[in-house]
Amino acid sequence: MKATGELQRRFQHAILTEDFAPGLFVAEGREIAGGLGLYLMAYRARLLSALRDNFPVLHRALGDEAFAELARDYIDAHPSRFRSIRWFGDELTAFLDAPPERLPHPALADVARMDWAIRSAFDAAGAAPLTLSDLAALAPERWPQRRFALLPSLRLVDLDWAVEPIWRVLNEDAAAETEAPDPLAHVLLVWRPELECLWRSAGPVEAIALRTLAQGARFAECCTAIAETGEPDPATTAAGLLQRWVIDGLLVKNQAENG
Amino acid sequence: MSQAVQGFGLGLRTDHYSDFVAAPQRVDWLEIISENYLVDGGKPLHFLDLIRRDYPMAMHGVSLSIGSTDPLDSDYLRQLKALVARVEPAWVSDHLCWTGTDSLNLHDLLPLPYSEATLRHLVPRVAQVQDLLGCPFLLENVSSYVSYRADEMSEWEFIGELVARTGCQLLLDVNNIYVSSVNHGFDPQVFIDAIPAAAVRQIHLAGHEDHGDYIIDTHDHPICDAVWDLYAYSVRRFGAVPTMIERDDHIPPLGELIAELDAVRVVAERVVAEQRQAA
Repeated sequence: MKATGELQRRFQHAILTEDFAPGLFVAEGREIAGGLGLYLMAYRARLLSALRDNFPVLHRALGDEAFAELARDYIDAHPSRFRSIRWFGDELTAFLDAPPERLPHPALADVARMDWAIRSAFDAAGAAPLTLSDLAALAPERWPQRRFALLPSLRLVDLDWAVEPIWRVLNEDAAAETEAPDPLAHVLLVWRPELECLWRSAGPVEAIALRTLAQGARFAECCTAIAETGEPDPATTAAGLLQRWVIDGLLVKNQAENG
Repeated sequence: MSQAVQGFGLGLRTDHYSDFVAAPQRVDWLEIISENYLVDGGKPLHFLDLIRRDYPMAMHGVSLSIGSTDPLDSDYLRQLKALVARVEPAWVSDHLCWTGTDSLNLHDLLPLPYSEATLRHLVPRVAQVQDLLGCPFLLENVSSYVSYRADEMSEWEFIGELVARTGCQLLLDVNNIYVSSVNHGFDPQVFIDAIPAAAVRQIHLAGHEDHGDYIIDTHDHPICDAVWDLYAYSVRRFGAVPTMIERDDHIPPLGELIAELDAVRVVAERVVAEQRQAA
């Protein structure tokens, strides 16, 4: 099998580096050049298409040519190790954060983060959401010890720019005119209560509270984390956030509530 | 729930989910791309479960990489087996190819060298997949654009030998036979004549792009005349085995694909009727 292994490595190397593999293929008229060339072309076209699917708004913001150039650099730097091409692009945001600067505006890295978060929530595991009546059935004295579990699809994404309006406009209209966003360090929430993905921004206190729950903390510990932010009335804030999370469908029923 | 796959089917594509949910369609069965459903939840699995209630299904993979010199990916196989339990397909298929080596995936169906060494490499790997899946396992011939100096036999001799040694069954892609026959200059009927008829469980039909020097298996056009003729020739040899149309790009409205599938039925029924008359 050594010979086949060597053949596969040489063919793969030819595709990855766009270099020819002399001695590997039978010359059949013009077929040899065209044939290998087809594999080289198809490889990059297929991965470019996967990146377009996974980063649709970044693609629209950059335009075809600039996106293709970025994709080409990424494809060369991060060949796929996935069985399913659906996951290709998982390191694009880290690639954009590392030097050299590859984007005409740094906020576009946040657009990429938002694209990827929505793509990853799209086919994340589902779960039955906790309802207001479930919450009403829970005696208030039991709230502090309760570990409220977050929806498996919930993503908390740290952003440095207020990119949501641009993302929304470009998602609806590829040709829309947009202006550069303002700097704004904040957290974006992305989740999928049923089949459609939802998103909204979260304030710093809410983000801290949700991250505390994500670590499996009890609600009492969540309240402590809120108090540590300097909130004047942490109990009221916590109760208000809990109600909002239930209305938004961010929390999951536990086994007993599932009946 | 596992029902027999027979007659004429289509590849299930997201563009047509709502059509299949809204009303019964003149399609006997559906083939799903396994990788599209190796996810944890959301729309893909929601629609898969809904549509599976009404249609028998076959599962078709693109990244088993049965011919790679890397070990088979046990994580992928575990996920595939879980999907088999969910879908209860009539069978699982993938391609007689390799998709990458050294843990990379080129996401392409690359041809294998047709040699004794490759056969010896494939036999235990096919057995491993057959044992693990617990349902029939089919391998599909790929289209190719290069030939290796390391080839020791023709593609059809290679496939025949693999079937003899492993008992695997075949998904015969008639369009791929045609594409490769043009690119490599062989007679596609010779290919079909050499295939062990009892092993052929399913047929794929598709369209391709003609670039003059070579033709490319793009699955983005209707079936061409030469492939229609080759399909009729295949039905004469293999009978009316379950046949489906693959369309992966420029996906038309479902009605157009069903009309094309109706034409497939007509060809198969005509050939079968001619054979009955001749007998």
